[in-house]
Amino acid sequence: MSEEKGNISRRDFFKGAAAGVLGGTALGMGLFSYSPMRKRFFPETKRKLQEIGVVKSLKVTNISETSWFENPVLMGDIKKAGGLLVNQYSYNWPPFGDGSGLGKGSYERGLAKIKHLIPHDLEAAWATTEKLSVSPQNAGGFAALIEVEEMGGRKRKFLLDSGWSYKWMHESFKREGIDQMLKNNEIEAFIISHEHFDHYWGAPVTFKYAPNIKTYIPDTFYPEGLDYLKAAGHRGEVVKVKPGTVNSIIPGMATYVFPVPIICRVLGEQSIYVNVKDHGLTSITGCCHFGIIQFAETAFKEIKYEKDQLYGIYGGLHISPFEDWDPKYDDLVLSLGKYKFQKIGCNHCTGILCAKKFIAAGYPVQQGTARFRSKDTAYLGNGDKIGYGVEI
Amino acid sequence: MERFGAGYLEERKLVPRWPQPIPAIVALVLTLIVFYASWWIFQDPRGWMRMYTPYVGYMYTRWWLIMLIWMVYIFNYWPFKRAWLEKTHPVVKGAILTAISIGILLILIKGFFVALLGNFGIAYFNPENLMKLPRMTEFFALEYASLACLMFAAIASWLSPAWVVACEEVPWQNMNQPAKGISILVATFFLSTLVYFMTMHSHMGILYYPWQYFTSIAPPYWEKFANTVSGNFHVSWIMCCTVVVWTVETIWERFPFKLIKTDWLRRVVAFFGIIAFAWAMHFFLYFAQELTWGPAIRGTRLINAPDWRWLHVGEMAVFFLVPALFLTFYCNNWPRRFSLPVNVLVRTGITLAAAALLYIFYYKTSHDFLGTQKGFMHEQQFPMIPTIWLINIWLAHHWFMDNWPGWKMVPKTAEEMAAERAHEEVQIEDTRWSPALGAGLAAGAVGGVLLYFIALKVLPWAYKTIDVLPK
Repeated sequence: MSEEKGNISRRDFFKGAAAGVLGGTALGMGLFSYSPMRKRFFPETKRKLQEIGVVKSLKVTNISETSWFENPVLMGDIKKAGGLLVNQYSYNWPPFGDGSGLGKGSYERGLAKIKHLIPHDLEAAWATTEKLSVSPQNAGGFAALIEVEEMGGRKRKFLLDSGWSYKWMHESFKREGIDQMLKNNEIEAFIISHEHFDHYWGAPVTFKYAPNIKTYIPDTFYPEGLDYLKAAGHRGEVVKVKPGTVNSIIPGMATYVFPVPIICRVLGEQSIYVNVKDHGLTSITGCCHFGIIQFAETAFKEIKYEKDQLYGIYGGLHISPFEDWDPKYDDLVLSLGKYKFQKIGCNHCTGILCAKKFIAAGYPVQQGTARFRSKDTAYLGNGDKIGYGVEI
Repeated sequence: MERFGAGYLEERKLVPRWPQPIPAIVALVLTLIVFYASWWIFQDPRGWMRMYTPYVGYMYTRWWLIMLIWMVYIFNYWPFKRAWLEKTHPVVKGAILTAISIGILLILIKGFFVALLGNFGIAYFNPENLMKLPRMTEFFALEYASLACLMFAAIASWLSPAWVVACEEVPWQNMNQPAKGISILVATFFLSTLVYFMTMHSHMGILYYPWQYFTSIAPPYWEKFANTVSGNFHVSWIMCCTVVVWTVETIWERFPFKLIKTDWLRRVVAFFGIIAFAWAMHFFLYFAQELTWGPAIRGTRLINAPDWRWLHVGEMAVFFLVPALFLTFYCNNWPRRFSLPVNVLVRTGITLAAAALLYIFYYKTSHDFLGTQKGFMHEQQFPMIPTIWLINIWLAHHWFMDNWPGWKMVPKTAEEMAAERAHEEVQIEDTRWSPALGAGLAAGAVGGVLLYFIALKVLPWAYKTIDVLPK
C-alpha cells in the first residue's frame, strides 16, 4: 500500500513538475527576454584599435558609377530570368552571352566565345558578345580612381573595380586618363570589391593595359570568378583577402572583407578604409552590401583612427540600387545622422531616391554634375571628383 | 442523413502497414522526394518556373498553406462526401484535393487580391497599378504586391486555425457545412483585415516615396519599441502565433487549455494564451540572436539589422514547427505512455532538439541543394519558403492522402470512438489541479526559470562551438 502511495506521489510530482517547467520557462522567456535587464547578458564590446597609419589627403575620381543605363531593362531581365537569386553567370548578359537566351547561359559556354580575344582585342570581343548576349547596350560599370597623398608628400594611385562593359569602360578609362596611368604603371594596385557583373566583368579592360598589376580580391569568389581572373589576362600577384581581417595596403589605407551573401549568387565584399590626418576615417565602397553603418561599427571595433571621427564616405551604399524601397532603408536614413559623417560622396547603388532622402535629412552630401550619362545631380556622377583632407 | 467530411480527421484510424519506424521513414523519404521535385519545378532559382524571386514564390507558399487549412479545418472537406473520402484511393484523393487547393489559391490571388482589392480598394495589391508610380519597374511592382499579399497571409495563417483550435468554432460549431465554413471564413478574414491594417499597412505606407502620411501611420507606432520602422516586427510575433497554434493542436494536444472546464473561459484563455506564448517566443528568439550575434544596430543591413532579426524570429519559429508536425503526423505523437504534461514536455524537448538540428542542417547545406546562397542572412532569401513548402506537402499528405503508403485509413468504430473519448476525459481529470500537484508544480516552475537562464549562458557558447557555416 505504501509503495503504491509512493508511486502515485512520484507520478503527481512529475506531472506537476512537467507543467511547471513549461510554465516557468515560458514565464522567463516572456518577462525577461526583452526587458532592459537582458542587456547585462550582452558581451562587452572590446575595441581592438589596430593601427593602420595615416595619410595626408585622399582624392577619389568617379570613373563610372552608371553600372547599367536603364533600370527597367535590367530589372526586366532579372524578372524574366527568375529573380534576384539567379546565378549572374546564367543570365546571358555580356561578356558571357552564348546565344541561348535569357537565364540559360553559363560561364564556360559564354567565355568560350571570347576567350581567344581577351584582353588584347577587346573591341572584337565586345562585338562578338554583343551579338550573343542579352541587353548588351544596357551594360555600363562601376570604377573609381583612388589617389592617396602620404604624409611625406608622395602620391599613390589605386584602382577600385573595373566595371562591366568592355566598350563603356574603355571609353571611361580614356576619358579620365586611366588607360595611360595603367600603361605607365602609375596605378600600383587593383582592388576588386566583389564579383558582381558591374564591378568585375570589365576586368580585361584593366589587364589589357596592366596585366601584371597587383590585384586584391575577396577570398570569397566562386570558381567562375577565380577562373575569369586568369582568363581576363591577369598575370601578376593576386592577394586573396580573408573575411574579417584588416588588410593593410599602405600606411593609412587598408581593406576589409565582409562575408555577406549578395544577390545574383555572389558572396563577400571588400571595402577600403583610409585614415586621413586631422580629419578621421573615410570609407570607400563599391556597393557596401553590408551597409554603411555596419562598416562604421566595424571600424569602431577594429581600427584606430584620427580624432575617433568618422569623416567621409565615397561610393555605392547599396540602399536602393534598383530605385526600389523598403522601410528598413528608412532605418538607415534615420540612423545615419548619429554617426556624424562630414562628407558624403555617394552614387551608383545608393539610389537617387536615397540620395534625395539624405539631402532632405540635412546630411553633408556632395552633389554632382550629372555628366557622361549620370542621371541626377543629387549625387556624384561620372567624371566627378571628391577630396578628403583636401578641397577639389 | 448524408455525411460530409466533418469529423473525418478525428474518426479515421491510420493503421501502419509496417512496424515503426519504417512507415515514418517511408513517409519522410517520399515527401522529401516530392518536396525536392516540386521545389525544382516551382521555386528553385536554377529550376523551371523560378518563382523564388523571392516574394512571388513566398506569397504562393504562404497562401497555399492557408488554402489547405481552409479546406480541412474550416470547411471540413466540404463538398466531398464522407463515403468518397473513405473509399477513394489516397493518391487520387490527394491529386484531386491538391488540385482544388491550387485552383482556389489562384482565384484568391488573381481574383480577390489583384483584381478586386487591387482595383477597387488598395492599389498596392495590383502590380499594374503600382507600375503607374514614377521609376517603378515591373519586377518590383510584382514583388511589392506579392509582399502585401503574403503579409496578409501571415495573419490569416494564425487566425484561421486559431478560431478552430482555440475558439472551438464558436458560435457556429453546430452548423452544417458550408454555412459553418463560410461563417468562420468571413469572421477570420475580417479579423485578419483588421490586424493587417494595424500591423502591416503602415509598412506598406512607407514603402513608397513620399511616406503616405494621410493613408497610414508614418512613421509606424512601433518604431521606438521595435527599434525599426519595418513591419517585420509584426511578422515575427504573428508567425510565432501560427507556430504556437499548431504546437497546441499537435504535440500539446490542446494542453493546458483543455483543462479549463468552463467553455467560454477555456476558449478565451486559449485564444489569448496562444498569443501570450507566442510573444514569449517572439522576445526570446530575438534575445537569442542578441546573445549570439550581439545587439542589433539600427540602420545596418543584413545580420545585425533589427528588421531582419525580427523576421528571423519567425523563421526560427517555423524551424520548430517542422519537427512538431512530423512527430504528430508520422510518429503518432510519441510518447503517449506518461501523464499528459510529461508527454507534452518530452515532445517539446524532442521538437526543440530536432529544430536546432534542422536549423544547423539547413544553414550548412541548403545552398548546395536549394539554389540559395550560403549565409544566415541574405536580403532576398527566406528559409520560411522551403520550410513552409515542406509543411504544405506534409499537410497534403496527412490530410488528403491519409499518410499513404505507410498507413492505411480505417474508419474508427463507435466503440473505439467512445473509448477514445473516455480516455481523454480520464486524462483531463487526471491532469486537473489538485494539491498533490503543488510541490511538483512549484519545483518545476523554479526549474523552468533556471532552465531559461541556463539557456542564456549555453546559447553563445553553442554558437561559438558549432561551426554552422563552414568556410
